[in-house]
Amino acid sequence: MAGPLAPTWTPDTTVEEHGDLDRPWVTIVWNDPVNLMNYVTFVLQELFGYDEQKATTLMLQVHHEGKAIVSSGPRERMEHDTSRLHAYGLWASYQKDS
Amino acid sequence: MKPFRARGREFVARLDRAEAGIVGLLLDQLEQLLTADAEGDPVLQRLFPPGHRSDREMADEYRELTEESLRGGKADDLATVRATLPADGGEIRLDADQAGAWLRTSNDLRLALGTRLEITEDTEPPEEIDDEADHQLAVYYWLTAVQGSLVDALVAGRAGPR
Repeated sequence: MAGPLAPTWTPDTTVEEHGDLDRPWVTIVWNDPVNLMNYVTFVLQELFGYDEQKATTLMLQVHHEGKAIVSSGPRERMEHDTSRLHAYGLWASYQKDS
Repeated sequence: MKPFRARGREFVARLDRAEAGIVGLLLDQLEQLLTADAEGDPVLQRLFPPGHRSDREMADEYRELTEESLRGGKADDLATVRATLPADGGEIRLDADQAGAWLRTSNDLRLALGTRLEITEDTEPPEEIDDEADHQLAVYYWLTAVQGSLVDALVAGRAGPR
């Protein structure tokens, strides 16, 4: 249905960035063979204020399932959370929740 | 080595001379790495992972935003560890902030060694030390014990001084 005045450019945005504003961003910790289990639990408590049970559950999820969402919220905060985890050497990244 | 434990508000451990020497050497190597312009080095990639896994542009943006302060934080931690390491062996005595620096730096050292040695979840401590790789693996597991004891001490310390 494109007439002569229809835009032919593709909008310079991606679905991931702007498609669904209701979906939050998330910070994910990935499993790696070096970080100690008690260390990961400790860091999650330290950075996010989680109690021992919640931090342990997340750590075990990372260990057994390969990854766990450890926080969610606006993109800027997920960037910040990721960098705080990187400061402790955890293998973390952020993305739009899927 | 006498592992870390919480004593009052402090965290104490003891290293013998050879152990302190090894830590000192590893700190030198880590420092060189942190100041090196070695893009593509697998250890640096592990110490400064991409912030976003599939979006290259976002990962670059993240790196630009964070890498300098991450490098600075690691350098500060390393300096704290060096300042509190008894060069000839002896007691290590740390306050909570210094213990945090030891925790992060010992983890960086393990990440660096573990990446170089291609550690997997199935890797086990060497039974005999036959070559340089065995030796490095032994150092890796020794650091694991040091760091593990520090985590336990910090958890105990968080419960309050006893």
